[in-house]
Amino acid sequence: MSIPQKPSFFHRKKSCPFSGPRAIAIDYRDPRILQRFVSERGRMVPSRISSVSAKKQRELALAIKRARYLAIMPYVVD
Amino acid sequence: MNKYECIYVARQDIPPTQVENMSEQFTGIIKDYNGSIQKVEYCGLRQLAYKIKKNRKGHYVEMHLEANPDAIVEMERQMRLHEDMLRFLTLRVKEFTKGPSPLSQTKGYKESRRVAAVTKEDETQEGEVA
Repeated sequence: MSIPQKPSFFHRKKSCPFSGPRAIAIDYRDPRILQRFVSERGRMVPSRISSVSAKKQRELALAIKRARYLAIMPYVVD
Repeated sequence: MNKYECIYVARQDIPPTQVENMSEQFTGIIKDYNGSIQKVEYCGLRQLAYKIKKNRKGHYVEMHLEANPDAIVEMERQMRLHEDMLRFLTLRVKEFTKGPSPLSQTKGYKESRRVAAVTKEDETQEGEVA
């Protein structure tokens, strides 16, 4: 990893919130978890920004789509 | 026998007792096909994230079923015919999730967003301290 530019700034590498020992379960019924991974407009956040692993991002995408169908999550927010 | 999780959304104008009748009708079909019902949870009248057939709210019910595929096919057919039905989704699961459905703990998308905004703030504060 690169050396931090400023000594006061800690660059911590973010890890996937759905992996590891403190992992949260992906549940299509729980809008409290899902809405953290969609934008204000209701779009899914790309994994490079949310730092979700590729495998979990696929699971998450499916969960969000299921939640949208059941009107738990919106397709678009106007 | 497979395990299925089924969530359906019923029209907002019907009383909760009628929603119960609906659940009984669907679980009855499962029983007729020698399936078993593990759980029927009424998750309350929730705000819909978008309007469906001019409804802004809907009664959510979650069911955990153990049945054969033909029972599920018949149940879904009946669900499609039901007038008060807005949405339903049946998924095969390996294991049932324990505890009450997260749907019962939230009233709708907007309310859940407010809750999450608060937790997000807490996280950033923690980050600053650390």
